[in-house]
Amino acid sequence: MTKRLTQFKEMASLSNEPIAQITADDLPPIPGIAQPAIPAPRPRWLDTYDFSLDGFSDFEIPAPKTDEEKKRIVEGFFRGLEKLFDPENNWTFVKAFRLSMDYCVRCQTCSEACHTYVGSGHQEIYRPTFRSEILRRIYQRYYTTSGKLLPAFYGADIEVNFKTVWRLLELSYRCNLCRRCVMMCPVGVDNALIAREIRKLFSQELGIAPVELLKKGTRQQLQVGSSTGMRPNAMKSLVSDMEDQIEEKIGRRIEIPVDKKGADILLIHNAGEFLSWPENPAAFAILFDAAGINWTLSSEMLGYDGVNYGVWFDDVELARVALRHLQIARDLGVKKVVVGECGHAHKAMMVIADRVFPGDLCISEMPRESCLPLLYQIAASGRVKFDPSRNNFPITLHDSCNVVRLMGIVKPQREIIKMICAQPLREMTPHGVWNYCCGGGSGFAIMNSLNFGDWRKNVSSRMKVQQIMAVFADVLDPSINKYVIAACSNCKGTIRDAQGHYGLWDQYHIHYGGLVDLMVNAMADLPKPYLEWPEA
Amino acid sequence: MAFEWFMIVMGWLSLGAFLAVATYKITRVTAQPLNVRWEVYPVPHESKARREYGGSYMEEVDWAAKATHPSRLPGLLEIAKEVVYLKRVREFNQYGLWGISLAMHWGLYLGLATIGLAVIETLLGVTFGLTPLVAGVAFTLGAVGSLAIIAKRLTNAELGLYTVPADLFNLGWVAALFILGIIGGLMDTTFAGYRAYVASVLTFKPVPVPPIVLIHFLVLELFFIYMPFTKIIHYIGKYFTFEQTLWDDAFKTKGSAADNKVLQQLGYPVTWNAPHIVPGKTWLEQAQATGLEEGAQK
Repeated sequence: MTKRLTQFKEMASLSNEPIAQITADDLPPIPGIAQPAIPAPRPRWLDTYDFSLDGFSDFEIPAPKTDEEKKRIVEGFFRGLEKLFDPENNWTFVKAFRLSMDYCVRCQTCSEACHTYVGSGHQEIYRPTFRSEILRRIYQRYYTTSGKLLPAFYGADIEVNFKTVWRLLELSYRCNLCRRCVMMCPVGVDNALIAREIRKLFSQELGIAPVELLKKGTRQQLQVGSSTGMRPNAMKSLVSDMEDQIEEKIGRRIEIPVDKKGADILLIHNAGEFLSWPENPAAFAILFDAAGINWTLSSEMLGYDGVNYGVWFDDVELARVALRHLQIARDLGVKKVVVGECGHAHKAMMVIADRVFPGDLCISEMPRESCLPLLYQIAASGRVKFDPSRNNFPITLHDSCNVVRLMGIVKPQREIIKMICAQPLREMTPHGVWNYCCGGGSGFAIMNSLNFGDWRKNVSSRMKVQQIMAVFADVLDPSINKYVIAACSNCKGTIRDAQGHYGLWDQYHIHYGGLVDLMVNAMADLPKPYLEWPEA
Repeated sequence: MAFEWFMIVMGWLSLGAFLAVATYKITRVTAQPLNVRWEVYPVPHESKARREYGGSYMEEVDWAAKATHPSRLPGLLEIAKEVVYLKRVREFNQYGLWGISLAMHWGLYLGLATIGLAVIETLLGVTFGLTPLVAGVAFTLGAVGSLAIIAKRLTNAELGLYTVPADLFNLGWVAALFILGIIGGLMDTTFAGYRAYVASVLTFKPVPVPPIVLIHFLVLELFFIYMPFTKIIHYIGKYFTFEQTLWDDAFKTKGSAADNKVLQQLGYPVTWNAPHIVPGKTWLEQAQATGLEEGAQK
């Protein structure tokens, strides 16, 4: 099944040659799609950056040249590893992390769960247990008596040098943290969590993280207000533009409330929506207005950007961003926060931050909810009249892992679709809590440095594209427009990139978009369709 | 007679050592800080309708205002399914491990039942006559299962990559237990010697016991002492991974025990070293610092 069994000891190879090679021929075919060639890293990159894991990288950090620099990174790695096991430095996850490190029985039952492992043609290095096993063996060798005394007996014989450490860093960014594998584990071992903890080690101890997540991500969000770089004034300006666009589309002007004290709901979007898909926040405004909801946006720094990239790699940054979000809601005096169509923002605010802050910031005092149940409530209430015939085209639903598998919000979106679409929902196989990640989860959607985007489009997104093609197999005729609902900003971005890469629109007229966009498209009293399909 | 006394001591020593180390392991896990929520759906204690498709209370509007008091029983039953028939291994049987793993596990369960039976018979002073049957099934299943797993791990390259000598040693020990049990059963067909040894441990009265039975028990008792130090004790970890992490969906309320615990944990010092970590701060102070303050970043 596996193409080539990469051995653990290869992680320590001093060669710059990748220990695993990803070629187009090895990738499982997608029916109806001609596999595009996978470009090799640019020659000038090879002299500067490290591609020794699999020939891909997002780390535009010059590889250290001197022994001293390499030593600093290896020492930092060890210091960080110790802190991962420390109940004070890692109180957030130490319990779950230790359990997963201690109790894996190496049965590999989880392997086929992984869309990246399967989508790569079963490359051994992407197996969910591969990176965990390396970390486990390193820990055993350097920190346990048994491993020190009998390293070969316990398999604790992986040498740690700069290359081992750097490849492990890269490897921690080959997992989408979708956690589908944990559903198959008979012991409940969470290999995705181990991947996340490796990322955290590098970020919190050495400050090494993808530039899109740390420097241009959480750092920028905390310093200017949004990971997009959007400042409060720009946000207000965009909202004003949005009001103009809404007026043009629906024939009447809606005033979008901003910083309205005492509103029932503070709606927080992923700020990327304002820039890349403004029709999505505009659709929320139209629908909320029609439903008579007392709501507001915030123009405070961070208040208009619900993303929290810390979820993927850094607990300190996670806590900082979450705290700002909750304080903004409290200061506005709203009754609750509703998170727009952004999966990881859902999980950050509702699930994880629940146990990060006490007292008045508890969920019981400052409720946080998904937009999906609210949208369902609006649809079911009859306050807004929908005409499903306006959505008379084949549709499928991509489930965001964060919203579905990791929060259990599965049904409201499906109930909404029944009420607003003329054709029955085409469920992907698998779907719901068993869905495959879009391939952009845990930050991959926005990671485009060096050739990482090539890896995402060809490997981690592959199973999703396969699913999309399969679900529309009987209506692939490009004269029929088809719609993939993705109620998550990062999922949308990933599907957008895959759409371009595989020619999904050009060849088959497969498009994507949010759920609320589709709801507004079905509003019976709008003078014209809300959805805009790409140019033919 | 000295060896018989030694074996009586070993019987109690192995039980005591097992309980002590297992308790230590459990205590070590329970003493860990309160984990942030990190659940995965479906969670077993949701309503039946929601459980079927993996839904949660978060599918409702205003869920935080609705009290939830889920029973832990469904979660324990779900774990029991893993124990009884290795549910997930059966469903996702990637490497054909389910049947042979089930055989080994049931060999262990019935092996323990055999001892339990002998204990009950001794305490009640009766003989049910079931021991040869239960033991025969246990030892056969266990031996076949453990040897087949060893063979599978040695012959399948992918499993082999993840198999270290210690795994084979552990499996070999388990296989040896069952094989010795089979040999003992063949030489002591009524299991009178087996029961006599168990009775001698319970009553502190050394009696002559066939050497093969004593060797079987010696290997078993050493295994009991060794096991808690290995991942063979994963059945203890399983409760915590599932019930206290993957299915722990309880949201926090102000002033609750969990709330107080989080408050306490926010006071822990942070000694991570990255440039965006402010030195000398607690977790709460870190969260309050954005790194915007002059000089805050190293």
